[in-house]
Amino acid sequence: MAEHITFSRRGAFAGLALPGRFGQAEGPAGLTVAVRTTVAIAQVVARPGRTDEVSSAVAAAMGLTLPAPLRVSAAGPVVAAWTGPGRWLVMQDEAGSGPYPAGSFVGRVAEACRGAASVTDQTDAQGVLRLSGPRTRDVLAKGLALDLHPRAFRAGMAASTLCGMVEVTLWQTDDTPTYDVAVMRGYAGSFWHWLGESAAEYGLVVAPQDDARAGAG
Amino acid sequence: MTTPQRPLPASHRLSAGGLIDRSARVAFRFDGIAYEGHPGDTLASALVANGVRLVGRSFKYHRPRGLLAAGPEEPNGLVELRDGARREPNTRATAVELFDGLTATSQNRWPSLRLDLLGINQIAAPLLGAGFYYKTFMWPAAFWEKLYEPLIRRAAGLGRAPIGPDPDRYETATAHCDVLVVGSGPAGLMAALTAGRTGARVILAEDDFVLGGRLLADDLEIEGRPARDWAGAMQAKLEAMPEVRILRRTTVFGVFDHGSYGAVERVADHVGQPGPHQPRQRAWQIVAKRSVLCAGALERPIVFGDNDRPNVMLAGAARSYVNRFAARPGDRAVVATTGEDGGRTALALQRAGINVIAIADARAEVSRSLQVIADHAGTRLLAGSVPLRAHGHGCVQAVDLGRPDGSGRQTFDCDLVVMSNGWVPTVHLTSHLGGKPAWDAMAGAFLPGTLPPGMAVAGAAAGRLSLDECLTSGAFAGLEAATAAGFDGTAVEVPRATREDQDRVALVPTPKPVGGGKAFIDFQNDVTSADIAIAHREAFRSVEHLKRYTTLGMATDQGKTSNLNGLALMAALSGKTPGEAGTTTFRPPYTPVAIGALAGVHTGKAFKPTRLTPAHGWAREQGAVFVEVGPWLRAGWFPKAGEDWLAACNREVAAVRAGVGICDVSTLGKIDVQGPDAALFLDRIYANTVSTLPVGKVRYGLMLREDGFVFDDGTVARLGPEHFLVTTTTANAAAVLGHMEHALQWTWPTLDVTVVSATEQWAQFAVAGPRSRQLVARLADPGQDVSNEALPFMGAMPLSLLGGVPGRLFRISFSGELAYELGVPSSWGDALARALMGAGRDLGVVAYGLEAMNVMRVEKGHPAGGELNGQTTAADLGMGRLVSPKKDCVGRVMATRPALVDPQRPALVGFRAVDAKDTVTAGAHFIDVDAPATTANDLGHVTSVAYSQGEGRWIGLGLMKDGPRRHGQRVRAWDGVRGRDVLVELCPPCFVDPAGDRMRG
Repeated sequence: MAEHITFSRRGAFAGLALPGRFGQAEGPAGLTVAVRTTVAIAQVVARPGRTDEVSSAVAAAMGLTLPAPLRVSAAGPVVAAWTGPGRWLVMQDEAGSGPYPAGSFVGRVAEACRGAASVTDQTDAQGVLRLSGPRTRDVLAKGLALDLHPRAFRAGMAASTLCGMVEVTLWQTDDTPTYDVAVMRGYAGSFWHWLGESAAEYGLVVAPQDDARAGAG
Repeated sequence: MTTPQRPLPASHRLSAGGLIDRSARVAFRFDGIAYEGHPGDTLASALVANGVRLVGRSFKYHRPRGLLAAGPEEPNGLVELRDGARREPNTRATAVELFDGLTATSQNRWPSLRLDLLGINQIAAPLLGAGFYYKTFMWPAAFWEKLYEPLIRRAAGLGRAPIGPDPDRYETATAHCDVLVVGSGPAGLMAALTAGRTGARVILAEDDFVLGGRLLADDLEIEGRPARDWAGAMQAKLEAMPEVRILRRTTVFGVFDHGSYGAVERVADHVGQPGPHQPRQRAWQIVAKRSVLCAGALERPIVFGDNDRPNVMLAGAARSYVNRFAARPGDRAVVATTGEDGGRTALALQRAGINVIAIADARAEVSRSLQVIADHAGTRLLAGSVPLRAHGHGCVQAVDLGRPDGSGRQTFDCDLVVMSNGWVPTVHLTSHLGGKPAWDAMAGAFLPGTLPPGMAVAGAAAGRLSLDECLTSGAFAGLEAATAAGFDGTAVEVPRATREDQDRVALVPTPKPVGGGKAFIDFQNDVTSADIAIAHREAFRSVEHLKRYTTLGMATDQGKTSNLNGLALMAALSGKTPGEAGTTTFRPPYTPVAIGALAGVHTGKAFKPTRLTPAHGWAREQGAVFVEVGPWLRAGWFPKAGEDWLAACNREVAAVRAGVGICDVSTLGKIDVQGPDAALFLDRIYANTVSTLPVGKVRYGLMLREDGFVFDDGTVARLGPEHFLVTTTTANAAAVLGHMEHALQWTWPTLDVTVVSATEQWAQFAVAGPRSRQLVARLADPGQDVSNEALPFMGAMPLSLLGGVPGRLFRISFSGELAYELGVPSSWGDALARALMGAGRDLGVVAYGLEAMNVMRVEKGHPAGGELNGQTTAADLGMGRLVSPKKDCVGRVMATRPALVDPQRPALVGFRAVDAKDTVTAGAHFIDVDAPATTANDLGHVTSVAYSQGEGRWIGLGLMKDGPRRHGQRVRAWDGVRGRDVLVELCPPCFVDPAGDRMRG
């Protein structure tokens, strides 16, 4: 029979995002990275011709206005990012809500859509990083072709693009500025390598992970 | 070589002036000798200040060469900078900012710069003219690679590449702006200011490490104060503007589509080693709504006999050395000019304490202003005179001046000849998108023609040479650019500056120098006026032919100082104007760019992103050897101590066939298909029928391309009435998703279906072997039934495991054994692998890799990459019956084309080596036993091979004409590439359990 072993969930950046200071050790760190390990992610894809119906259904059921193209929206703990015509990532940070939170949240989103959209669980398909600090834009400029100048990209805006040659969905959460970046899980290692190299010049702080469910590292 | 411990004080440093920091000293070495300079020096200016005149040997003739210029156009002063893995050949000494500890070595000399034995080439010079390589090394052809080329390369090399890997980091970055200003001379500074004042986002890129352009080199005044101070004040103003970004040490090297510009910033080239975590260089992609090119102009040399003697220098360069760097290039100078520039030069030299012996002015009439200067300096002014020939070895010692026809020749002793033959606007960037520069007879130069979209040109680059014109044109161009980018302009105030008289004539080279000697046009490539004449005589007259035949304008400087003279001479010989002759095409980069800078951090293993499965770390701990499959790394085999790949593979296969093994199949594409029309959609996508599949069942799916050939295969699982999960091969995952999206968006937009990739969401393991059910059952949470009755072959069910992880269990088999695929959300993939290995220890569970998986699928006759090669039909693979005749699908019609249903098409067949000792290789051709191995006798080829322990020999699959009808016969598997010729016996393509009892058990 099987031995009794406790198995743990490993987020996309487990073993990569080790807390500490890296790169330039002097002065304030240019970039701070926090791994958001507890974000449940539902991908909502409107069925052909039913985008408006999805929007009103989600608004009615969850109080969330699905965002317009290139935007994010939020209602309480739920955040939605536009990723393409009729497509959104609808997310909720489920810190502290039990061991397998994703299923219930994704189910709730699917219910809210009432068949007007296909909803798939992508919680484990993405690793989400929160980037902040005075040199965040300079770091991102090394891998992202988008213009993040405040005149061009503000809090509440989102983009699905390539960063460091890796597919990401990125949105700005505030004007300090802070960005959340969702990275395709399989490429987390390559993205982390690019991020570390690009931030080294300014100094990089990796914040301790916020939840025990992140597992070892 | 003796090396003094303490460098001598710089012998040719002026006692005052210059933009150097005299309070600090910078030690450096050139050819092993220690020297000192100051911050603010370039390597070239520090050499000048130390009296070093000889900096290199020429490319072909090994003639001694000195500095011609003071900027990026320098053709002669190419050095190897730094040592070891940081050694960088062909670095222009004029573009190297001096740093403490700098070491540089002259190139192209052997054994030393002063004593160069290959200078013998000068004596053989008549043999080395234009087209020399083409004419001499023609025969025999075999000699080229082995003898001629190595010989030429050794004799004529341009520096040595470093051997070791580059120890420095490079990176790439993107910047966006409303207005990009290229160059920070008077025009560029004004353009940046007027654009910046509108609030536009401005990037000012300057190649040099100080802003100011020619304001640094020339003694000019703006608003009644020294122009250099004005430049400093402008810099302060620009730096105070939050939306203006100044990039110094940054060369804009290319213009690309959609307002995109390539630039390289030398972040740490001016220090010995980059600081910790600092990149050496950064390649920028600058995206600009508008740009203003203020790249200035390059001076045109005078072509005369032996004009390449060291210290025959461009006048602007000499002014730069004395004014900006307080370095005296000589003591007794002759100024050769074609216009008013000569007077300004003579004044500058004289102020620096250089004795100006004579001024030769090519203009026939005596210029009154030059006469005043000459009288004041006590110098002879020779109107209507040109330099005829330079004398001296190692350094110029005298120059003959006289009339252009050679008469009135007089010799003047001197150690410096400065020449000024007008200015050539730096129009390179205007041509990068195909615009042709336009010849302007009045300016005697090519000016910008059709400009790239969004670009404007100001200052000397637009042919406006006078300081006041530079300021005015820059100011207006900057404002216009900002306005065009959507900003409101304000009134422009242009600072006052004196108008500089630009009166001059242009000296066009003659085919043969009147004064004798060799008259160089292209210093870097040793192209003389005689070479241009040869090219003309031999009919290589188009400018593009001229370039290739003579090498005019090639190599690192791309003809910056030579193109106009060469083209003007060819035009004159051809009876054309330079405008009619045209110019060669300017292409990026403007100056050489290190490939490393363009690659940035994406080098070595990070060259492209690597995709890893959720259990990659576990596989690495198990000692897996990984193989690349597209972007993925997959475990190929898990060798134990002493095992090679085959031994490991055999052990893994044996363990699976006898017990149980697990294999990470997370890389297979997974597509979630939902909607009321999902079944209908999949019926159209797959060749076989999907709609009849019950919920909770899995079916093999074969997909055709539009052209009727097989595209991909995989499984289709029905999770709900309107919900399917389909898998693809690893290689085709993205292509299949794209194919489905195309079909939905374009072919059948009315179908109510969506497709979404679920590949990254699920970690999936194959659990295969007679004990696989036992193992799966041990992981299942209580109350879950995985018995044969609950989950028969080709069944699918949700499975809660590991104490609540929501998984999916599919009873499918690629190995031919009782087998499952078990999926869990990716975050649990690592845990699943460890749980399977832990729970199966007493069952003898092994981890198996791609190789073992391949062996088992070959033994089972499943087609994979070798068979699904894009050239096979369903019938070729023995799956013709799968293509449902009852419904339509993508590729159905095209699959019925005659060539696709030809019974003679090679079809899938199995084979085994007759002799158990023989190895068969994929790619071998099937040839009849007695037939010679010719194309005509080719029957098909081997697509997959495997060592089968069950068969005790190598077996395989192949595509062979009449293969299915020749089971039991013997043919040869002939591999001409690897020299193998093996007898094989044909058989049905299934070697294990043909009835399928094991997987159904």
